Amino acid sequence: MNWAGTPRARRVFLCGAVCLACLAGARIASGATPDDCHALRRHGHRAEAQKCYESLTAARDPYLRAEGYWGTGMYQEANNQFRIAVAASPANAMIRVRWGRLMHERFNNTDADGLIKEALEKDPKSAQAYYGLALVSADGFDNKAIEYTSKATELDPKLYEAHELMANLMLEDSDQAKAFAEADEALKISPEALDAMAIHAAIEVLNDRAPDTWLEKIRQVNPTYGEGYALVAHHLVFNRRYEDGIAYYRKAIELDPQLWSARSQLGINLMRLGQEDEPRKQLEMCYNNGFRNEETVNTLRLLDSYKNFVTFKENNTILKLQKKESDLLRPYYDAELKRIIDTYNKKYKMTLPGPVQVEVYPDHEDFAVRTMGMPGLGALGVTFGEVVAMDSPSGRPPGQFLWASTLWHEMSHVYILTVTNHRVPRWFTEGLAVHEETEASPEWGDRITPDVVMAIREKKLLPVADLDRGFIRPDYPNQVLVSYYQAGRICDYIQERWGADKLLEMVHSFAKLTATPDVIRQDLGMAPEEFDKQFLAWLDKEVGPTVANFDKWRAGVKDLVEQAKNKNYDAVLKEGEDVRRMYPDYVYPANAYEFMAQANIAKGDKQAAATILTTYEKIGGHNPPALKQLASLEEELGKPAEAAATLDRLNYIFPEDEELHRHLGDLWFAEKKFTGAIREYAAVVALQPLDKASAQFNLARAYFAAGQKDQAEDHLLASLEAAPDYRPAQKLLLQMKDSDEGNKNEGK
Amino acid sequence: MRVCDKITRRITMLAAVLLTCATFSVRSAQAAPYYVTVAGLGGEPDYEQRFTALANDLDKLFKAADANAHVTTFTGSNATKAHLSDTLSQIARDAKPDDSFTLILIGHGSYDGEEYKFNFPGPDISGDELAVLCNRIAAKRQLIVNTTSASGGSIGALQRAGRIVIAATKTGTEKNATVFARYWVDALRDGSADVDKNEVISALEAFQYADRKTAAFYETQKRLATEHAVIEDTGKKEAVRATNAENGEGLLAGSFALLRIGTAQKAANDPAKRALSEKKEELEQKIDTLKYQKAAMSAEDYKRQLSAALLDLAKVQEELDK
Repeated sequence: MNWAGTPRARRVFLCGAVCLACLAGARIASGATPDDCHALRRHGHRAEAQKCYESLTAARDPYLRAEGYWGTGMYQEANNQFRIAVAASPANAMIRVRWGRLMHERFNNTDADGLIKEALEKDPKSAQAYYGLALVSADGFDNKAIEYTSKATELDPKLYEAHELMANLMLEDSDQAKAFAEADEALKISPEALDAMAIHAAIEVLNDRAPDTWLEKIRQVNPTYGEGYALVAHHLVFNRRYEDGIAYYRKAIELDPQLWSARSQLGINLMRLGQEDEPRKQLEMCYNNGFRNEETVNTLRLLDSYKNFVTFKENNTILKLQKKESDLLRPYYDAELKRIIDTYNKKYKMTLPGPVQVEVYPDHEDFAVRTMGMPGLGALGVTFGEVVAMDSPSGRPPGQFLWASTLWHEMSHVYILTVTNHRVPRWFTEGLAVHEETEASPEWGDRITPDVVMAIREKKLLPVADLDRGFIRPDYPNQVLVSYYQAGRICDYIQERWGADKLLEMVHSFAKLTATPDVIRQDLGMAPEEFDKQFLAWLDKEVGPTVANFDKWRAGVKDLVEQAKNKNYDAVLKEGEDVRRMYPDYVYPANAYEFMAQANIAKGDKQAAATILTTYEKIGGHNPPALKQLASLEEELGKPAEAAATLDRLNYIFPEDEELHRHLGDLWFAEKKFTGAIREYAAVVALQPLDKASAQFNLARAYFAAGQKDQAEDHLLASLEAAPDYRPAQKLLLQMKDSDEGNKNEGK
Repeated sequence: MRVCDKITRRITMLAAVLLTCATFSVRSAQAAPYYVTVAGLGGEPDYEQRFTALANDLDKLFKAADANAHVTTFTGSNATKAHLSDTLSQIARDAKPDDSFTLILIGHGSYDGEEYKFNFPGPDISGDELAVLCNRIAAKRQLIVNTTSASGGSIGALQRAGRIVIAATKTGTEKNATVFARYWVDALRDGSADVDKNEVISALEAFQYADRKTAAFYETQKRLATEHAVIEDTGKKEAVRATNAENGEGLLAGSFALLRIGTAQKAANDPAKRALSEKKEELEQKIDTLKYQKAAMSAEDYKRQLSAALLDLAKVQEELDK
């Protein structure tokens, strides 16, 4: 969740009436209290509120001065006054809570958390402290946010802000009924609960109904309450309705031009849709006005780094690559994008309305900026409508991810979001995207990991109706990953049992805003509970033995590692086979396949080593050294075509490998597959090798063999320019001249 | 104006390079290379094994490349300060000014802020002590490759005119174990290190190859690089990460034949083909001059002249190969 995208900045003041009840004596000589100032602001009387806060800054009480400075936007001074206030009244929990809330508002959740927890030590029954902790936790999608909010309402049932927050959390969890009820609860306590009204408005918008009644109610209390629109915008963005969200952020800053949190989110979301100029303008405005949260600052930095990127526009794609790796990656990305678009156009029976933009970041931190404030994993790629941002293969250690698989995943989102007009539950679009990875290649996609095995064993898979929660607010570490796996397997199951068209039918049902339980009933003809039962039975048939043998497998791996370390190769082969059978999908570090292959090689049985590594490859193993070893064994066993195919797989894993391209080029050249050889040799050149001469020469000879003499000549010249004495290049030059003269003579 | 100045400077430098190469070619007919490789104290079995294997690989490569080479390699318990000192003293007695001398140190090093030490079983040897021993060797062309941790701390002691000093770390404070040695050995095994394809791997080519592979190792593993190799071959300047005309480093290293990997040199020394060899050298000079004039020429003119010269050179080489 991202309260930075909501009117968090103002929320702290609006809750003043309750929290200051604990500081009833806090009043200046003229009679104004922080509550009075907050009330003025709550009703949109900005000038009066400003004067009120200014008057507080002259108070004797440092706490009041702190509130005054905070209200006037002098945060540093407010911080200083809070420090003095805490020193003067060390037992007062509320001052610490308020100080913590200031920290939270100024993007320092670490100190906020610390101060509020200190307050709780002094007053374990402080509802405000729990509410403060809930706000801090909610920023990081921490499940504790719900726990803290519940505690706050339990301690103080009249704390309407806690109900507003709970409504917000429930709406983020796609539980509209609970969100609705909590918002109503807040309104019962305070008919002027503006955020509760905004939550109601958001529910209406999310259901494609007019929110006017609720927005009008907000206007009646505060005609300039931009935060209400920003809260609606937040939920639209949260549901990946970026353009609608942007429209609401615009309305928010129209009402309150100094609502920097909304302006920042406007900039960030415009950028998510591929724009650069307006986002920069909006974000710079925020920055220059002191709104410098992590998202704003890092996004501005990312915009600055775009000068190092180059953009390639085709009919239906816009590819943004870093200059340094653009020559290398472009051919692979172009080809894969074409394959994806051709496949999905047929599969989803549609074409995209505009070009899809794919941004590839070699620096993971740059990519991470694109996912800040977003729920879910977002570890490798993220899709914003028709914009995909992803890690470059060079952004991670070799073998850690398959970029092409990620691209298929993200592109599936592009299609599904488009065809549903962004109205699809998270679990389904993620599940379908995971499913598509393996559809594109059975060797792609993630295999069942030990975390998932344990989750299944401990019966932690969520009912399909609640699966969204596993993506947004996980209950345990790695639940997001478990949810990806579960959602993917649900889609696999649906396709296997009902056929691929059933998945498409569900896509269209979701597009009509049908809830998951209703889609299950309507399209699959059974109750969601029955679906869960049947799905789990299906899954159990496949992974049941792995789950049942998990402890035994773990012990087996441990032993296998020891046997391999001690070079007991016969034992490795015998025990390795048992370990492999218990958990065949385990292709991660310390897998049985690689140990067995090494044992076979040590025993001189290359054929057996190649066989086990081929099994590893087919089941989804993608450790580059293991695959390179397989290619080398295949070559030694006289199977150059298989070796080339194995090496080509590595292009989809880690193409930043000069040796890979050179060798694959050689293999294809020998097989007279000149188009492939040209691509691979060109990749070597793109990597700017030290040995430019041989790289250019290889490319020249491939072009020459393919009958493309002009390109051959250019690259040959480049080769000889680097090394004039390079014999093979000299020979090719003479051969080309001879061939030219031969042609001329024939012409005569 | 500035462009012209730059070109003039480049041509001057080119002339200097060619002069050095030519001088070396003549000398190399009689000169003998001396190679000393030391695998120091590993400390742990893994390092011990690795250092020994790398040193043995170098030993084989040097012996295979030149039957006349004097190759000495110390590993395991043989690698001691006393043995190294004795060998360097013996070379000081044998080597002539025209010979070349290469010392490669593989292992761990330490630097206390003032003094570098190469770690042996038993007493270590300091950078100053090494310098004294190497300074006694008459060979005018020397190469010291210190691949250890903290090796940057040895440069000051080792550098002198006529000697190339390569260190795996830029300073003595880069104290983690290094991977540079692995790629230094690879450079001598991998023909692609010979970027100008003259069938000789020069010290500069090997340095550039190993440095690049080392950087790629850290980049690929997404690890913070804890070593940054440097080179110094003027004997009086700060060691640099990359050689270029501006810093004046690399001239000696570029002409130092570390390892011969082909037969080109033999052909060049054949009196029957001397005229062709001279023609070849002329063409090579012409091509080099053209390359340095590239910026001042039109692309078409450059391509035309370069193509013609390269074709002539290829024809001469074809004759030489007959």
